[in-house]
Amino acid sequence: MTTRRPTAALALAVGLVVIAGGTAGLLLTRHSTPAMRPAAAGVAALPAPTGPIVAPPQSAAPKPVAAPVSLTIPLIGVRTQLITLGLTTTGELQVPSSTSVAGWYTGSPRPGAIGSSIIVGHIDSRREPGVFYRLSELAAGDKIYVKRADGTLIEFRVASVQTYRKDRFPTENVYGPVPDAELRLITCGGAFDAATGHYLSNIVVYATEMS
Amino acid sequence: MKFRSVFRKLLMLLAASALLLGIPTATAYASSATTGTGWIRLAHLSPNTPAVDVYLYSFGNSNAMIVLHHVAYGTVSPYESVQAGDYSVAMRAAGASAASQPVLSTSVTIATGHAYTVAGMGPESGLRLQVLQDDLTTPPGQAEARVIQASLKQQVVSVSLASATLANGLKFATVSKYQVVSPGTATVTVKAVGANANSSVTLAAGTVHTLVVLDGATGLEVVNLEDASGSGHPPAGGVSTGLGGTAPHGPGSPVPWLVAIGAGCMLALTGGMRLRRNRQLTARI
Repeated sequence: MTTRRPTAALALAVGLVVIAGGTAGLLLTRHSTPAMRPAAAGVAALPAPTGPIVAPPQSAAPKPVAAPVSLTIPLIGVRTQLITLGLTTTGELQVPSSTSVAGWYTGSPRPGAIGSSIIVGHIDSRREPGVFYRLSELAAGDKIYVKRADGTLIEFRVASVQTYRKDRFPTENVYGPVPDAELRLITCGGAFDAATGHYLSNIVVYATEMS
Repeated sequence: MKFRSVFRKLLMLLAASALLLGIPTATAYASSATTGTGWIRLAHLSPNTPAVDVYLYSFGNSNAMIVLHHVAYGTVSPYESVQAGDYSVAMRAAGASAASQPVLSTSVTIATGHAYTVAGMGPESGLRLQVLQDDLTTPPGQAEARVIQASLKQQVVSVSLASATLANGLKFATVSKYQVVSPGTATVTVKAVGANANSSVTLAAGTVHTLVVLDGATGLEVVNLEDASGSGHPPAGGVSTGLGGTAPHGPGSPVPWLVAIGAGCMLALTGGMRLRRNRQLTARI
């Protein structure tokens, strides 16, 4: 009988320690982490890029335009080179492997040509903001610039900013044909699903070339 | 009376829920769908009509929104993005006063997300403004094309693209329906009784084209208009462009901690009871 005594004492001690640990853990994890906010003075507005601004395309025998090389959105401090993106084997849009650069979908019209040109960038990485972190702050009338390989510049104005749930993504609206030179900037937004590691929504900025 | 008012309320409720569900909304495209705009372009396709000034008015407003000066035969303007609504288009002889009586005018209703071509067509003696609805869709991986027959010298033409027939026996001042065509570079062949024409055109996947047959200085000419362009192979679904580093994180689940506390209680209780029983036994001995 006496041999049981140390075991019982040990069980009591371990039990008390586990209760203390559990309580501490419970108290420490009850608060939530808020969304990361950009540092107040972290991102200053950039100057507009310089270069010859070209006129919108004509519908009669439009001239081919040079490939896009960089994107500048002065208001939200975006200045990035543009890489090229295609489709994945399952038919989805590729995304840049780096979260700090944006990419142009080569299956869409070139920026400044007739049609809806598609540019994609990350909102964040696992740790920090990505190139399109502040995309949702854009509003109608804000300026977007794309520089092309021949040094020419195209000036777009934001027409609207929309948020769509990914399971109800309006493919025709975003990727379908349009009769003027337009731009679509796409990133993630809405709620983040920690279980799947994905945001539930996409933010799409619609912009039109200025004449 | 009472029944009627209840009926009306029911109707309104139905209409409201239909609106919410998006039932009556027509298919609309692109940014225009989010801003309530559509597109219009203006064209002069009457071979023996001299150059004109073309005016676009918002319905009921006598100040023109857009004026195109000295528009000659064969000219097609770029698209202008305008708020959906009613408009009128007027043509005056080039240089005529804006206050003068137009030679021709027509009204056009522009719907959100839709595109229109308003063209002066026919011979000068029978000139009329025709409103054409322009297509803004293509099946995935395909292109679309139609033909406007604007040659007065050759009253009837047939047009083919590679081996596909786009228009057969198309009469002067008429328009063929859009047809789905394979993308790529191909030869457009125009055949008429008195003249033929060939021209090489490139129709990329995801683009919509209008081929206009015109009277050239000698023989026929074909002008290739790009009506619209999009992604030939639209990506499937949304885009995965975030890894969550800046997303708000909710409070962690309390369950594992509660289980631990529960287990700790059980362990401590069992241990404590055993100790007490041992003590009682020892005391009895």
